[in-house]
Amino acid sequence: MKSDAVRGHLDGLLLAVLESGPLHGYAIIAAVQERSGGALELRTGTIYPALNRMERLGLLRSHWQSVGERRRRCYELTDAGRGSLATERTAWRDFTATIGAVLDPTPPPRSAS
Amino acid sequence: MSDVDRTSRAADPVETHAADLAARLRGPARAKARMVREIRDGLYDTVAAHTERGTRPELAAQRAVREFGTPEELAPSCQQELTIIQARRTARVLALTVPLPLGMWWLSGGTGSDVGGNQLPRTVELFAALPAGVWLAAVLLAVATYLATGPLSRWLPTPHRLPTVIAWTGSIAATAMGTLTLLLVLASPWSASWPQVAVAGALVAVPHGLVAASARACRRCVTA
Repeated sequence: MKSDAVRGHLDGLLLAVLESGPLHGYAIIAAVQERSGGALELRTGTIYPALNRMERLGLLRSHWQSVGERRRRCYELTDAGRGSLATERTAWRDFTATIGAVLDPTPPPRSAS
Repeated sequence: MSDVDRTSRAADPVETHAADLAARLRGPARAKARMVREIRDGLYDTVAAHTERGTRPELAAQRAVREFGTPEELAPSCQQELTIIQARRTARVLALTVPLPLGMWWLSGGTGSDVGGNQLPRTVELFAALPAGVWLAAVLLAVATYLATGPLSRWLPTPHRLPTVIAWTGSIAATAMGTLTLLLVLASPWSASWPQVAVAGALVAVPHGLVAASARACRRCVTA
């Protein structure tokens, strides 16, 4: 899937992989790639400014954590982030239902004669 | 760090990538360093993951850089965020420092009322009145910018040109503060209590310096 198609949904993807708990940058990338089965053509470096932006908006909070010998910045959802994820999911279901109904119309059930 | 370490780090594609990205970005030093460091650490993690899967280290580094995006590809999204961070900083400096010169101006008799015999010459008052209007407009815009680029922007779109507007508002406000500093210092001999007016002028110079530096940094971000 091309990166242009992903761009509008990046926030939702990041919120979704953080739903289960705090993760650092590379773990977030790995989770997105794993859940998508590697189908997303995403310049993975772009998630870092996105994470910074979402923290500024109050959707995420972050803290430094020691992982082995290195310190990494871990991100987790705030209450506002959980609310935003719920909104993103609802919007995505409505969108796919609407577009799906047009692209792949289900034939009306035939009446029994 | 030894010469060997320096040479090996310089030849490391990840370090080269991080240095190239850092050179392309403008913005608050800490925010920029944090962003570049996170990207560099992520690159090292990606290299380690590829190496664990059996890829040769030099190929793993090249592959990691290709997956992350080149510095040229990453710079626009990083710069956009750094520009907003700098715009917020400039807005905060404006909102916090502008009331100080306004207060100084009022205390030194700039309101036209003879506060403790401090009244300034009428000409100076007329010159000072214009900057006072500029400052009030600047502080209102600064507060609006700070709010519009924070959590409120979850619901309100951030105007594309807002960082440019706040950068130039800061520059104009800094010029106004500089003008008022000069006016207060030059007019102090005509005031009944000239030391108080001269000190007020000198104190206005401090926020002038803070706002001018922050606005200049914001202009650099906008044009980066």
